[in-house]
Amino acid sequence: MALLEINQLNKRFGGVVAVDDFNLSLEESTLQAIIGPNGAGKTTIFNLITGIYPPTSGQVKFNGDVLTGQQPFKVAKMGIARTFQNIRLFPEFSVLDNVRTACHMEANYSILEGLVPTPRRMREERELTEHARKLLELVWLADREEELARNLPYGHQRHLEIARALALEPRLLLLDEPAAGMNPDEAQQLMEFIREIKQKFNLTILMIEHHMEVVMGLCDYITVIDFGKTIAQGTPEEIQANPVVIEAYLGVGE
Amino acid sequence: MSVYYEGIIILACVNLLAVLGLSLLTGFTGSFCFGQAGFMAVGAYVATLMTMKLHTPFAVSLLGGMLAGGLISIPLGYPTLKLKGDYFAIATLGFAEAIRLLIENLEKITGGSRGIPSIPTRTSLPIILVVTIVAIIMVRSYISSRHGRNCVAVREDEIAAQAIAIDTFRYKQISFVINGLLAGLSGAFLAHYVGFIQPSMFGIQKSTELIVMVIFGGMNSVTGAIVAAAVLTGLPELLRAAAAWRLVAYGAAVVFIMVIRPQGLLGTWELSWKNIQRLWQGIKSIGSHTNKAKA
Amino acid sequence: MILQQIINGISIGAVYALIAVGYSLVYSVLNFSNFAHGEILMIGSYIGFYALTKLGMPFWAAIALSVIGAGLVAVALEKIGYRPLRLRLAPSLYFMISAMGLSIFLQNFTIVTIGPNFRTYPDIFSTTPIEIFGLNIGRLDLIIFAITAISLVLLTWFIYKSKFGNAIRAASYNMRVASLMGINPDLIVSIVFMLAGATAGIGGILFGMKYTVYPWMGVLTIKAFIAAVVGGLGSLPGAVLGAFVLGITETFTAAYISSAFRDLFSFALMILIIVIRPGGLLGVVATEKA
Repeated sequence: MALLEINQLNKRFGGVVAVDDFNLSLEESTLQAIIGPNGAGKTTIFNLITGIYPPTSGQVKFNGDVLTGQQPFKVAKMGIARTFQNIRLFPEFSVLDNVRTACHMEANYSILEGLVPTPRRMREERELTEHARKLLELVWLADREEELARNLPYGHQRHLEIARALALEPRLLLLDEPAAGMNPDEAQQLMEFIREIKQKFNLTILMIEHHMEVVMGLCDYITVIDFGKTIAQGTPEEIQANPVVIEAYLGVGE
Repeated sequence: MSVYYEGIIILACVNLLAVLGLSLLTGFTGSFCFGQAGFMAVGAYVATLMTMKLHTPFAVSLLGGMLAGGLISIPLGYPTLKLKGDYFAIATLGFAEAIRLLIENLEKITGGSRGIPSIPTRTSLPIILVVTIVAIIMVRSYISSRHGRNCVAVREDEIAAQAIAIDTFRYKQISFVINGLLAGLSGAFLAHYVGFIQPSMFGIQKSTELIVMVIFGGMNSVTGAIVAAAVLTGLPELLRAAAAWRLVAYGAAVVFIMVIRPQGLLGTWELSWKNIQRLWQGIKSIGSHTNKAKA
Repeated sequence: MILQQIINGISIGAVYALIAVGYSLVYSVLNFSNFAHGEILMIGSYIGFYALTKLGMPFWAAIALSVIGAGLVAVALEKIGYRPLRLRLAPSLYFMISAMGLSIFLQNFTIVTIGPNFRTYPDIFSTTPIEIFGLNIGRLDLIIFAITAISLVLLTWFIYKSKFGNAIRAASYNMRVASLMGINPDLIVSIVFMLAGATAGIGGILFGMKYTVYPWMGVLTIKAFIAAVVGGLGSLPGAVLGAFVLGITETFTAAYISSAFRDLFSFALMILIIVIRPGGLLGVVATEKA
């Protein structure tokens, strides 16, 4: 059984078909990419998986459980973490707090203990702060934990967002154009980083990308979509040789 | 201390209790509540009726008023907290107005627009001061807990908050209930200090005053909210400024703050041992810098 | 008798419609509720009042003055209280707070300077009703309806037929993309506020003529907000529809139940719509993109 199964997913917004009969099967510990030009519907697919809005029809299953129709926070609880195309960090929070907030599930202390501190709360806070700090070390931000997240340079913000997603200890990581706005060198570094965390945390990753070459060396399987429709699916080699894809992509890959 | 100054401090504490709730709900959780006076009214009237009709001891009346404020926020929260910011604001405004209208029309119970006179004045400075301080400690504690962080995450970016498994609705609800409890308690204390209550005391003007205090103090600092409540309660009393000009100044100041310094007077600065030490370091280093410049 | 109430309802509904349309216009382009809209209405009403009484202007001139004045005030408010926030991409909470501040300022400034007294507009039109189909309809109500209809038609023409109108509609879908197409966002916003102010000004005069003028008449905007929500927030036809629905149902509540519960009912109606059909009667759907 695949970890993530998407069957005949459809989404219409009024008269516009954003996603048309999308199918995908994601095995555990693999990395797949969804590629397509802007507006092809890639982020919509992510939003459908994570429950931001319901699909018009179709189903998403995670680990055998039906995801479609669940609220986003429940989807996250089930073990799916994501990053956003436009980076959604918490602007008023420090670097540390951005990650630390995401560790909230590691603690169990109640609302009442929030109002009146107990030893259990102190201990749990210490532990989750430790965890958050370890994650910051991973993204080379450990010495900047007090800084405001919005003051970080762009590349670091991306890394921070990924660290925050990792705080959920997810099984599935959804990355929405993580290399957006980066030059080729930075993008390469990021891909290396993704390769490392995938191995270290035994993650299954589904990635949206715009730049094809960036994902070529990294992923096991690629789905190409355009105008909401799937135009090709296959291994990187197959995709590179696919004439339909080449035609749709003339010019992309600068 | 003279009775006059005691009175100002008591009033400041009354306002502060309501402002604490609002600071959590509107400041830290980001749900703009325009109807705080409605919760205060509920607390005030329930507590008063308990004292006058059921002859309960003061503590029980206070508890009753507090719980009434908290309980009413539960059914109110269900339909309204799902709404976008401005809908929620208007809905809470509508709630406060509805409460006021209800009070005015249930004359047999509430005395209608003339209100309820001759309430035993049980609010004393030590009692309200202790309760207020406990409330401050608890609210600050909540905010620095993981629950508090979740509230701020909800304010900052609901979608991102959901993405890190925060049940945004539940946290808004909790803040709403805590706010209701504190506002109800505030109203209960007010009733037993002033000695009478009328629906006109709990109108849009009161709600506005309280929101303005939260904005002045900063939506990110409980200390700021405390300072704002104290100053904005005490100053007009001491200066006896014409009430209408005071509001003109408030309005202008609110716009000014939003445009120039939305984080409020203190930003995120909280009164804490660590911050006092930092402040002290900062002051000391100014001295050494000037010395170096001279040398 | 029932028909009489319907006429009353349509009359107040017309005033609500003018305010609601201006409100919805700002909302559709800037995506925030201008809580200070009511104060613009109030200013328009006072301008009209003084134009008629102190300056002795003819009615049409007074309306024109009020429209221009209210429009200019609206633009000024935007520049002072909203533009700085807009440029900073401030969260909508800040806009709401700033709007609240402007509202408090204007209301109380009026109270302190002009005074809190209620003013009555002079009777410009004869109060003898006109008979149409056996109904007695007040001249004033007819005038209100006529002016509202003309204003809405003009506004609709402007929004759907003129160059600026197209720009406004483009901006209401996506301000950023519209600006990439060469539309100047500042100019668009100013025009939108000018229009909103103008309609509010007219609404203010009409309300003042039918009822009274007082510093906190701006709370009427809450009714306009409810109307806009009932019809579908962000939709101009929705605002008009909601306004008339609200006006009529309100009038009936006041007449057959009690006037105290009229306002209560309006809020309840809004909550009902929000819970059952959040997009309003015309079903306006707004989804947030991730």
